[in-house]
Amino acid sequence: MGRSSSSRTPTFRRLAALGLAALALIGCTGFQMSGPQSTLLTEGPVARMQTGLFYITLWVTVFIFITVGGVLAYAQLKFRAKPGDDDTPPEQSHGHPLVEMGLIVASTLLLVIIAIPTVKGIAFQEDTPDRENALVVKVTGYQWWFKFEYPELGIVTANEMVIPTDRPVHIELRTIDVIHSFWVPRLAGKKDLIPNRANHMWLQADQPGYYWAQCAEYCGESHANMKFRVVSLDPTDFAAWSQRQLADARTVAAPVAATTGLDAADMPRFQLASAKPAGTEGASYAESPFAHWQMMQAEPTAGSEDAALIARGHQLFQQKSCGACHTVRGHGSMGNIGPDLTHFGARTTLAAAVLDNTSENLHRWLIDPNGVKPGNIMWKQGYVGYNIQLTSADVDALVAYLHSLK
Amino acid sequence: MSSAHAGAIDHHHDPSTSTGIPNKKLLMWAFLASDCMFFGSLIATHLVYRLNPIEGNANAVETFNIELTSFSTFILLMSSLMMALSVAAIQKGQIKPMRRCLLTTIFFGLIFLGCQVYEFAHFVHEKDLTLSSSVFGSTFYVLTGTHGTHVAIGVFWLLLMYVRSFQPASGVGSTAMAMRSFAHVAIFLAAVVLSMYLTLELVHDIQVHGFSAGSFGAFLGHHVAVLIGTLGALGALVALGRDPGPVAFSEANAIDVESMGLYWHFVDIVWIVIFTAVYLVEYVPLH
Amino acid sequence: MDSALHHGAAAPASAITLLPRPRAKTGLLGWLTTVDHKKIGILYAISAVFFLLVGGLEALLIRLQLMVPNGTVLNAETYNQMFTMHGTTMVFLAVMPLSAAFFNYLTPLMIGARDVAFPRMNAFSFWTFFAGAVLLNLSWLPMLAPEGYTGIGQAPAVGWFGYANHTSTTYTPGLGTDFWIVGLQLLGVASVVASLNFIVTIINLRAPGMTMMRLPVFVWMTLVTSFLVILAFPAITIALVELMFDRSFGTNFFEVAKGGQPILWQHLFWVFGHPEVYILILPAMGIVSEILPTFSRKPLFGYPIIVFSGACIGFLGFAVWSHHMFTTGMGKVANTAFALATMTIAVPTGVKIFNWIGTLWKGKIQTRVPMVYALGFIWMFMMGGFTGIMHSAAPADAQQQDSYFVVAHFHYVLIGGSIFSLLAGLYYWLPKMSGRIASEGPGKLGFWTVFIGFNVAFFPMHFLGLNGMPRRIYTYDGNLDWNLWNFVSTCGALVLGLGIFGVVCHIVYSIFKGAPAGGDPWHGRTLEWSLPSPPPEHNFDTIPVVRARDVHWHDKHTSEPAPEHPTAQHEREHGVHMPDQSWYPALASFGLFILGSGMVFKPKFVAIFGHWSIVPILGACIVVMASWLWALESPGGYHVHPNGGGAGHGRGGKHH
Repeated sequence: MGRSSSSRTPTFRRLAALGLAALALIGCTGFQMSGPQSTLLTEGPVARMQTGLFYITLWVTVFIFITVGGVLAYAQLKFRAKPGDDDTPPEQSHGHPLVEMGLIVASTLLLVIIAIPTVKGIAFQEDTPDRENALVVKVTGYQWWFKFEYPELGIVTANEMVIPTDRPVHIELRTIDVIHSFWVPRLAGKKDLIPNRANHMWLQADQPGYYWAQCAEYCGESHANMKFRVVSLDPTDFAAWSQRQLADARTVAAPVAATTGLDAADMPRFQLASAKPAGTEGASYAESPFAHWQMMQAEPTAGSEDAALIARGHQLFQQKSCGACHTVRGHGSMGNIGPDLTHFGARTTLAAAVLDNTSENLHRWLIDPNGVKPGNIMWKQGYVGYNIQLTSADVDALVAYLHSLK
Repeated sequence: MSSAHAGAIDHHHDPSTSTGIPNKKLLMWAFLASDCMFFGSLIATHLVYRLNPIEGNANAVETFNIELTSFSTFILLMSSLMMALSVAAIQKGQIKPMRRCLLTTIFFGLIFLGCQVYEFAHFVHEKDLTLSSSVFGSTFYVLTGTHGTHVAIGVFWLLLMYVRSFQPASGVGSTAMAMRSFAHVAIFLAAVVLSMYLTLELVHDIQVHGFSAGSFGAFLGHHVAVLIGTLGALGALVALGRDPGPVAFSEANAIDVESMGLYWHFVDIVWIVIFTAVYLVEYVPLH
Repeated sequence: MDSALHHGAAAPASAITLLPRPRAKTGLLGWLTTVDHKKIGILYAISAVFFLLVGGLEALLIRLQLMVPNGTVLNAETYNQMFTMHGTTMVFLAVMPLSAAFFNYLTPLMIGARDVAFPRMNAFSFWTFFAGAVLLNLSWLPMLAPEGYTGIGQAPAVGWFGYANHTSTTYTPGLGTDFWIVGLQLLGVASVVASLNFIVTIINLRAPGMTMMRLPVFVWMTLVTSFLVILAFPAITIALVELMFDRSFGTNFFEVAKGGQPILWQHLFWVFGHPEVYILILPAMGIVSEILPTFSRKPLFGYPIIVFSGACIGFLGFAVWSHHMFTTGMGKVANTAFALATMTIAVPTGVKIFNWIGTLWKGKIQTRVPMVYALGFIWMFMMGGFTGIMHSAAPADAQQQDSYFVVAHFHYVLIGGSIFSLLAGLYYWLPKMSGRIASEGPGKLGFWTVFIGFNVAFFPMHFLGLNGMPRRIYTYDGNLDWNLWNFVSTCGALVLGLGIFGVVCHIVYSIFKGAPAGGDPWHGRTLEWSLPSPPPEHNFDTIPVVRARDVHWHDKHTSEPAPEHPTAQHEREHGVHMPDQSWYPALASFGLFILGSGMVFKPKFVAIFGHWSIVPILGACIVVMASWLWALESPGGYHVHPNGGGAGHGRGGKHH
């Protein structure tokens, strides 16, 4: 290679060293694959079956790899031409039909090991068990977020799907625009949402928990930013959550506690039975998303909110025609182009699970939606299309308002 | 290119190839296999949408004019017969019968195309079926239009072959000869376009004014210039179609005609499939 | 080359003389008008390697963006353009044409022919491929970007399989999708025409004694691949036509509001797309099946079974397309049928691997550079095959589909499989093509760089996929446990990129400065090694008579002289007839380029000419005129006198 090799060998060595360091790192961290979207740490029957089948295929192929690879490696080493060899060619043999037929039969048998559970698995994942009792959720894909409707319960929500643990969930998959794919790795493999096509799937969660999920079919500029969450609750909590969802949006009145002399903490307020008692902090999102989500369901203690700012946010929400696209039930906004925000304050994430639902993040999203999620419709058709200008103070008020929507 | 004795060439075995099949014929067979997949995809698309009917789709039976299409189908089948006769003629070294059969094939092909143009125009103007009015319109026009394009290419190819058969044995390759061929093709095309135009106009006038001397009179009055042009072109074709003496085209070119014939027959067979899958099945009561 | 030639009396004087027949053998003109399969093969190889580097650059940008969470190398739209163009480029502009380069260069040499059956059509295939490649990549031109567009130029951003209805004007209003549609249509025309040519060549132009069961496996795989191309490309061509009509003329094939079914696109695409996978891998298998026997110094183990399994893979390839669609809700029956059919394909594929190992068995393995790549191929292809089996288990695939696990799978098949094998082929036949041999040391260094880089880049993607990382995402958060493997993968990709670049440099260097190779540097087994390197224009002085499968090996090891071909005496006296060069193939391709550009730039041409159809019609006229003149000019030709007789040395001779 002459000159070119001498100039790239040092680079090669450096990269090789880097590679070795990386390999060492691999040894330390292990091959856990334990991320929040791991397909190996399954938490529901569908994903468990799929991963079980994956392991069957893995072991069968590992077996083939060891046997065939072993023979190949042996052949490579054993039959290498030796330096002292004479020039006579080896025996010019042409093949061995019996060996070949044997290998064909053997590989067919190995495939049968995979084929049987595959066929069983296809049947298992296709039909929702206990169909009458299953909870029906209608999922609709939008560029780039998911809408969740519970036709039996009359609930509409977005980006965080809540399901009970005690029964299967039958999911109807629809899309409003292009093809998307619904994927909650720890609960079930994916299924596509295809225009003019009625798809369905089912899943179930073993335990109450919080699951990360993501669109898995390329659907345009911000495909990477089309995520969602699934939360599973025990039946009691799920019933409470459903009740809460049916309620209109929460209105924060000017503090009344001071005038009536009641203790703010005694005011009745919504929270899940399973959540930690109010006031005990600690469930930060990063530590335990599920505990954090449970905490987010609770209404703030009375008086802890700035009612005036919230009212200003509410007013801005209407002035800036946010309601043309978003629904806030009970607050006069009935748009159905964007996500339903009636209980937005109780969600752990925003902008289709792109950001944690903190004040700073919501502020960032509302000031510069296109920076967070390039090409999104709120930016293109709303902000640009309607020439909506927001000052930082406006956004503060909107943040307070939206976070009050528990 | 010495002219072989009539019938001296074995048209079923080419000693210069490994299989005895002439290269051009094999090429055509392979191409037709590929073309099967083109039409297969289009027909599949059409049938998929017909089997999963869509609300607001056009009503096929109300749109179609099955008598006309049956007629043009029959004509196209007859053109295949003429094509086969042309091949048979050139394989015996008979140039003049081959020319006559080629001309008839072209003529029948043009009748088919004329019917299709009429059909399309009729559907668009009378039945409001356009490319974009419904899925049926899209699949119907693109499928039958692709077939029509195949027929048109076939006609053009036949025409080139016809003109080529006039190249004199001496002087092939001269610029004058090239110009003469070019003029022959151009005049032929002009004659085709003009007479198709006139025919369609005549049909239109008869439809509007009824079958009477008056409508013929109006037709002649409106199109006198075009009529003269058409007659001139046809006259020129007759002049160009006179026997030019010894020609370069010979029995050795039978393989060219045969390959073209394969294409033509294939296009006809595809039409039988389309006619069945697109037209006839619509008349089968399913429920 | 001591052959003399003159344009003899046998050249029919029937050429229409609108453009004089080009005679230049070298320079731009010589390459532009050549009909020599070897030159066309080299043109394919140069373009393919160029686009391999372009596609590789795109891949590196993708990997750099994903190196760390929330990467800022590319923005969302540019990233989407990158993976679209990377996939399209690698499939259609790198691997396929590099295979075509070998088809072109080697098929006639291996079957004992002087050229392909239709030399001018062969030139047309190349130039049409080139037109499509150029048109597709013109979409990068920055000046095309509309106001406010965040991508580069107007490059398509629809993914290489361009799923409807994302490709409709509603969701991709720009020219990018049109570039993609028209570019692929031109490439489709080129591939189909080329394949028709190879089918006729292989079936009809075999030397006496070269029966089908004596064909080198590479030629067999060329034949199977060619059939796959002519039967598979129509499906995508029709899908693209339907899409083009939807975008340009308001049809409703995939128009959801009018009842169009986007799923139809997926079926049409994958009816093409799955055979396409075999179009990419079968030539690679053919190359390896040539190299392994040569460097094991014994015949291919189980030749008939290898051939049969190749054909079998080709057939089954048409019956498994829907395994790309397991998650589209096809239902139990379809999923089961396609899962089982897919598993079936593992059997003939496995058979090939067994037979390759059988070839090594009891051989005398010489680990020269091509052999090292071929052995690397077996290992890597085996890995890709295993993940393929995993995907055939439809329920497991529901987790893997559209994740990085799939990305790992097809890169193992396409790089570890196709590219490794094509590089093996380049090193193996480089001496034949250039007359010079590449040195061992840098060659092996290159191999190990590529091998290590490749595995470091792509093996971790299995983990990423299992850990829930979907493909085609331009960004990810740091809290998903994907950071380590993405970082490792990018490091590997950089090593791989460096390796490929180094290998290309080494090959280019060797073409000019390598050691002279001689006719048969590897002790080859097939006919091409019986020729000098590089072979003369007319390939064979006399057409060989074939007496055995590995014919050259047989001829070297037998004392019986080969019988002479019946035409040999005649050719010695009168010379070998060679077809003339021609302007018209390139001109017809140029017409197609104009036609295609007219379809892409419709809105712009409407503004200039008032109607969109002017430029496409102009292009179509050029195509028709060129084809007509092409038909009229006849193959023409001149005579080459292999042994220096006749009109003296060199390229003299008189044109008639």
